[in-house]
Amino acid sequence: MNKKITSLLFLSLLIFCSASYSLEVIEILGGRANQIAIAVSPFKEFSSQTDTSKVHRVIESDLDRSGLFNTLDTDGVSNPPSNDLNINFTRWSALDAQFIVVGKIDQTVDRIRVSWSLLDVYKEKTVLSMEYAGKPSQFRAIGHKIADQVYERLTGSKGVFHTKIAFVKKINDDKYVLNISDYDGFNVRTIMNSGQPIISPRWSPDGKQIAYVSFEKKKPVIYLQELATGQRTLLANFKGNNSAPAWSPDSKKLAIVLTYNANSQIYIIDSDGGDIKQVMRSRAINTEPAWAPNGKEIYFTSNKSGGPQIYKLNLEDDEVTRITYEGKYNLYPSLSYDGKLLLFLMQDGGKFKVAVQNLLSNQVLKLTNGPYDEAPIFSPNGHMILFSYKDYGKTSKIGTVSVNGLKITPLAVGNEQIQEPTWGPITN
Amino acid sequence: MKKSLLLTVVVATLMAGCSTTELADSQPLNPPFPELASSSADGSVDTSGLGLDELRGDAKLSNRSVYFDFNQYVVKDDFMDSIEAHAAYLKNHPGAKMVINGNADYRGSHEFNLSLGQKRSVAVKEALNTYGADDSQIETVSFGEEYANQECTGAKCGEDRRADIAYEVE
Repeated sequence: MNKKITSLLFLSLLIFCSASYSLEVIEILGGRANQIAIAVSPFKEFSSQTDTSKVHRVIESDLDRSGLFNTLDTDGVSNPPSNDLNINFTRWSALDAQFIVVGKIDQTVDRIRVSWSLLDVYKEKTVLSMEYAGKPSQFRAIGHKIADQVYERLTGSKGVFHTKIAFVKKINDDKYVLNISDYDGFNVRTIMNSGQPIISPRWSPDGKQIAYVSFEKKKPVIYLQELATGQRTLLANFKGNNSAPAWSPDSKKLAIVLTYNANSQIYIIDSDGGDIKQVMRSRAINTEPAWAPNGKEIYFTSNKSGGPQIYKLNLEDDEVTRITYEGKYNLYPSLSYDGKLLLFLMQDGGKFKVAVQNLLSNQVLKLTNGPYDEAPIFSPNGHMILFSYKDYGKTSKIGTVSVNGLKITPLAVGNEQIQEPTWGPITN
Repeated sequence: MKKSLLLTVVVATLMAGCSTTELADSQPLNPPFPELASSSADGSVDTSGLGLDELRGDAKLSNRSVYFDFNQYVVKDDFMDSIEAHAAYLKNHPGAKMVINGNADYRGSHEFNLSLGQKRSVAVKEALNTYGADDSQIETVSFGEEYANQECTGAKCGEDRRADIAYEVE
């Protein structure tokens, strides 16, 4: 198990290590022992407001959630430093911290300014020093920005702590709400309300629109909705079912699934509804298309060999290749941003689990234990996965799992059924 | 590109405290979003000649649900009698329109279950075809697991693995 994690991480992390900075590269070869030990010291405040004191908690929970950091308890630290001068490195070293984050918050009535530093405890030197400012209500956004900087500096890979997610909330079987929120479940807002089911939301790679399937016409049809204006466009309302929208990497096209009066087959349609063409045709079910980041291949689920398995369609020569072989029931494919990892849902011993397959070695790693996990989707940097699970076997909830399998964190976004999550792109 | 980013970071580090990154205002919340009512049935339809009494009174015709095994869409022999009766009804009433709604239990992904429900719906249509029913009178759609019992266990889940026959006039 550990060996699996190690080799899988090794392959995936090698890529971002090579893209890293000229200063030393922190090697993460997987396993708890290789997590980066970091202490996020409480930020010194110069104001009477109390909620901004949570900035360091935001940073801490971000880094913790990623599974690549071991965040150390700083509750017992008396008189925490507010800048990178005169740091008592021996004290932090005694906590086993490799790195520390320190900072202070200056607040006026409608503005906070957060000055912070990342320090290397072993080398006893400052690694980063920056300042962010904004409205007091943006304290979480500022915390996420700082966590992104720390993450990128220490792992060589972009942080996703500023990104958004979308999910469906099902209330009493007759109300369905499409919500978006921060990646950690804070700042929820509703973008769509319906008396009929909503499934399969998918964020456009350019971040501007969400595609989803709505049953409001007493059958599944596909809508696109602009996030800035709330404006909806009916993309596909053909005879039969219209479902499983998947954006092309350039946001110009979508792979969708139509049935007419037969079985689910895969089509590609322009995002303005213009051109449409069929790309898969067989007697079997073909559904759940997912584009490879190169835009030249579509992964999908088909049951042509009996139970559902994942296949790859090459759009240039129409060649179809089977990808999953482990187990009898694998479905819901999606790809990491670099196209190297396949994420999917696997039925294993009667339980539905989130799994990843390294597409170079075809090694499979199960990230969760089920029993009823669903709808896994990668964070834009491929380091975390958002998925849904059944709490006590009943109510569907969502949470994140780190790609090294070390950290599972639930998202507190309501007591109702929370399902069909998706992850928005890295912005700005 | 990476290099210049690196430089920026290094420079920023060196100039610690000199520059402040101002966060943009978060995007305006809650643009008017659509609030949908569930659609309701429309005006009156001429139902004469559709033999509605027959549809409701006949034992075989009042049987509307076809049940399937897990991850399966083979129509079992037990249901053939009533499928034959429905096919005869369609042939005798060319104005009648049938919708077959396929369903699945909650296990597995929503999208695959939508496809599985569709496959079940199509399987019933094809069984009707073998008794001479015409495609022009039949529409197949799927609800997948969307109206399924989300907490079922064991045999109870079997109630959701079904296709339901409905007539448009009803």
